[in-house]
Amino acid sequence: MQLSYFRRVAAGGAVAALAFAGVGAFTATPAYAATSKVSVVHGIPDTPVDVYVNGEKTLDNFKPGDVAGPLNLEEGDYDIALTKPGEPIGSAILKVDNAAVPGGANISIAAHLDAAGQPKITPFVNDVSKVDAGKARLIVRHTAAAPAVDVRAGGTPVFEDLTNPNEAKGDVDAGNVKADVVLAGTDTVAIGPADLNLKEGTATIVYAIGSAEGKTLDVVAQTITGLHSSPGGVPSGDGGQAGTGVNTWWYALTGAGVLLLLGGGVRMATARTGRK
Amino acid sequence: MTVRNRGALAALAAGVAALTVATLVACGSQPAEDVGADEAAQLATATPSAAGTEGPSVPVTTGELPAGAETVKPVRLAIPAIDVKATINAVGINKRTNEFEVPPSVDEIGWYRYGPGLEADAGSIVIAGHVDSAQQGKGAFFRLRELDQGDTLTATGSDGKAREYRVVAREEYDKTKIPLDRYFARDGKPRLTLITCGGPFDAKARKYRDNIVVTAVPA
Repeated sequence: MQLSYFRRVAAGGAVAALAFAGVGAFTATPAYAATSKVSVVHGIPDTPVDVYVNGEKTLDNFKPGDVAGPLNLEEGDYDIALTKPGEPIGSAILKVDNAAVPGGANISIAAHLDAAGQPKITPFVNDVSKVDAGKARLIVRHTAAAPAVDVRAGGTPVFEDLTNPNEAKGDVDAGNVKADVVLAGTDTVAIGPADLNLKEGTATIVYAIGSAEGKTLDVVAQTITGLHSSPGGVPSGDGGQAGTGVNTWWYALTGAGVLLLLGGGVRMATARTGRK
Repeated sequence: MTVRNRGALAALAAGVAALTVATLVACGSQPAEDVGADEAAQLATATPSAAGTEGPSVPVTTGELPAGAETVKPVRLAIPAIDVKATINAVGINKRTNEFEVPPSVDEIGWYRYGPGLEADAGSIVIAGHVDSAQQGKGAFFRLRELDQGDTLTATGSDGKAREYRVVAREEYDKTKIPLDRYFARDGKPRLTLITCGGPFDAKARKYRDNIVVTAVPA
C-alpha cells in the first residue's frame, strides 16, 4: 500500500520518478530480498512535522509521539527532511542526506533530541530475530535530552547507565512488568512508572523522548510482531494404553515362526537325501 | 511317510501359523490413515494481504505503550463423537524442557495462551491434552485419533459464548518430524488445533513416538 503511494507521488516529478523506479520494480516481485522495513518515530516535543523522503512528502503533519510505517524501502541511500507542517522543503528544520538503508533489515529512524537538546535523526537497526517460546524482547532507546539513566522493572535495574543515543535490550518472560526510568545510579524517577504488557513473540521498543530540562520527558513505544517460536514439543502421554504398532511378543512370535519353517524345511530336505 | 517327515511337516505348519498370526496382528495395529493433510496445510498458508497494492498513505500509530490485548480464552471443550467434555486451562511453556505445558491432570486439557484466543480472525488456537498417563490411566484425548472429517466440536470461551468447529484433518507425525511452526502459527486462516500423543509406545522411555494432530475450522 505504501508503494502505490510512492508511485502516485512519484508521478509528480522526474527526480522522484527516478528515485522510486526501483520501488516500482519491487512491486512486481514482492519477495525481493534487498528491501528493508523502515519505521519513523517522532520524539521531538511540541513539533509536528512533514516528512520528506527523497524530496517527496511522505508523512503529513506527523505528530510527536507517533510512529509511522513500516515502509518497504529498497536498499540504497535516502534523503530525509523534516519541515514544519506546510512549509517548503527548502526551509527544512532537520535533514539527513544519503542516509544508508541496508537491504533486508528492519530499521527505525528516530527524530529526537540529543543529550544537549538539539534535534537530530538517528537510525536504529531493530533486532527481529526469533525469541524463544514464552519470551518477549524489550528494547529501550535513550533518545531524550537527559543524562544517563537506568531502566528498572519492578524496582530492579535491568538496563544500567544508558546514554543518548544508545539502546539496551534483552529477552524476558512475556507478561506484565512495571517499569520506570531513573537517573543512573539513583532512585530519582525521571519517567514512569508505567505498566508494560510484553506480549509473547514480539519486540517492544520503548523510546525515552523529550527533555529533562523542559520537563517534557515521555515515552514512545513501537511493537514488532511475528518473532515467536514454537514450543520444543507436545509431550502428552506416558501410559502406553494407546500404543499402536507391534510389541516385543510380536517379534518373538515372528522369530519362532521363521525358525520352525527353517527347521522343518531342513529336516524335510535331509530326510529326502537320507532315503536316496 | 517317516516319523522324521511328520515332525518336519508339523514344524512347518506351526511356523506358517505363527507367521500368519503375526501378520494379522501387524495389520490390525496399523494406525488409521491420515485424513485432510492437504486441507490442514492449506489453512496455514498466510492470507496474502489485500492491502498490498491499495491504500493512500503510510500507516501512523500513536506510540502508546502496548496494553494487554483482550483475548477470549477457551474454557471448555466438548467433542460428542468421542465423549469428551473437558475443562481447559491456559498454559504456557515448561521452563525446564521448553515444551508445551500440558496440564498434569489427564482429565484437563491445555490451551496455549501465547497463541490466538477464540476471538482471533487468524492463526491456530492450540489445545493439547494427555492421551493417557501411567499413574492416572486414560486421558481426555484418549480417543482423539478416532475423530474424522466432519465431526463437530464446541469450544466455550471465557465470554460464555459457545463456538462450533468442524474437523477437517487428522494427522499423525513422528515427534521428530512434526511441523510445529505450522500448528503454532499466528497467521493463516482461523483454526483450532488439537494435539495429543499416539503411535508406538516405547515402554522403556515411557514415551509415544508420535503426535496426533486434529485440525478443525469454524463450522
